[in-house]
Amino acid sequence: MARVNLHWDPSNPDDPGPCIDVIVSNSADVIEAGRAIGLEYPEPRKMTALLDTGASVTVISKVFANHCKLFQTNEGSEITAIGAQHHCWEHAGAISFPGTGLRAFDPIRIVSAVFVKERYYAILIGRDILRNWIITFDARHKRVTIED
Amino acid sequence: MTSPTSFAIERKVFEEHREKWFRSNPGKYVAIQGDVVASGFFDTYAEALRAGLREFDVSRGFLVRQVRLAEQVYVVS
Repeated sequence: MARVNLHWDPSNPDDPGPCIDVIVSNSADVIEAGRAIGLEYPEPRKMTALLDTGASVTVISKVFANHCKLFQTNEGSEITAIGAQHHCWEHAGAISFPGTGLRAFDPIRIVSAVFVKERYYAILIGRDILRNWIITFDARHKRVTIED
Repeated sequence: MTSPTSFAIERKVFEEHREKWFRSNPGKYVAIQGDVVASGFFDTYAEALRAGLREFDVSRGFLVRQVRLAEQVYVVS
């Protein structure tokens, strides 16, 4: 079992929320099948993710999904955010949490969408991942703890 | 590496079978490439993905869908 502490100051309006470093890549199954026929894949990419209890699924910026060349498994599904509908794509990816000991998720369906003017994070970690963890928030000490 | 695709053919195949599949295998997952459906229905997205990787051309994407009557709409609030 791993235990990770993250800093989050909810009183700071410039603090986007509890963030964690993640590494995103194609699923190992996809890479194995693709390499068997000579396909090449980019190196896994480290990026910042926001823990988002309001997200029903994990969502990655379309820019980063393209950069990682994530294997596509659907197109045209929709995300509802604050009453607006957003076009999205689905991919078979892998997400790990470097330096934490948290279990990686591979394969996992990752939805991609256009992030408009988002400068803090490239991924929302949604409830499809969060449901696997025990998460506590100590507001007095501005600390979020994850255990898996 | 696969280029972005609209899965127009795959989505048409799914729509043509959606109601029948829902009656027989609600909530299961299927994998489709072109007009070919991977053999079987699967309990999880991961299982359907692996079936597609075994049976299809992985140089391009394939559709993995859960058998539901209504479209899946994700929520970010």
